[in-house]
Amino acid sequence: MGENRENSIVIERVFDAPLEKVWQAWTDPEMIKKWWGPEGFTAPSIKVDLRIGGKYVYAMRGPADSQWDKVMYSAGVYQEIVPNEKIVTTDYLSDEHGNRVSPSEYGMSNDLPNDHTATVKFEDAGEGKTKLSIIYAAPETEEQYQAMLKSGMTEGWKSALGKLARSLN
Amino acid sequence: MDAFTALAEPTRRNIIELLAARGQLPAGAIYHKFKISPQAVSQHLKILRDTKLVRVEKRAQQRLYQVNPATIHEVEDWAKQITRQWEKRFERLDSVLKELNKKETKHGRKPRK
Repeated sequence: MGENRENSIVIERVFDAPLEKVWQAWTDPEMIKKWWGPEGFTAPSIKVDLRIGGKYVYAMRGPADSQWDKVMYSAGVYQEIVPNEKIVTTDYLSDEHGNRVSPSEYGMSNDLPNDHTATVKFEDAGEGKTKLSIIYAAPETEEQYQAMLKSGMTEGWKSALGKLARSLN
Repeated sequence: MDAFTALAEPTRRNIIELLAARGQLPAGAIYHKFKISPQAVSQHLKILRDTKLVRVEKRAQQRLYQVNPATIHEVEDWAKQITRQWEKRFERLDSVLKELNKKETKHGRKPRK
């Protein structure tokens, strides 16, 4: 499936736009709103806290009267950010605050993965084009797996507490 | 743990490959194939059972292990689904970027290299 590791998924595409533009489309919430979510879906809210340890929370909503006519959230914590080059995040289904939820809450199977690391690579492909690659990898050891679970959850709590603290100010 | 994550670990992948090549094997025969302790292998087998990547059949005193193809297919389908989802997103991103290029040209600014 993958090129780097056996147990990874790699998706690549070359865009007819310069590197900085692709980076902008990837990190600017107003731009993300325009392309996140499958056809017919809308992105009611896109939150990006682009710093290491910061979190993104993306909402999407399916077409009216379909089974996906509800707001679903996915979130992740930024682990590595190299402008115009690379973003590494965790990635999981979440609630509106970016706290992890189990896939069954969205009517999906709990047997399927809800914890992975996604690496996004931005490469200059020449002639004003940009190659974008997304690499999904599962943690390779039990320790990494536990650490990832823990980090995501801790971040979720931190964010909820931070919100509470701000509302009290 | 989910099946995709379970498969990421090299020893567990080796166990699956071994079972795929040999069909059914008793736990003891699997232990012998690995340099790590039987306890460690046993832990891996437990995770493979829990994630339904292998099936166990009890025969007399033996526990016979074999691959469960249904789960392997499920993981493959999931990977295909993720890929399709991103391909669709990329298509939309492509049109967003094209629109952005057009706008810049319209406003008299040359698109950057």
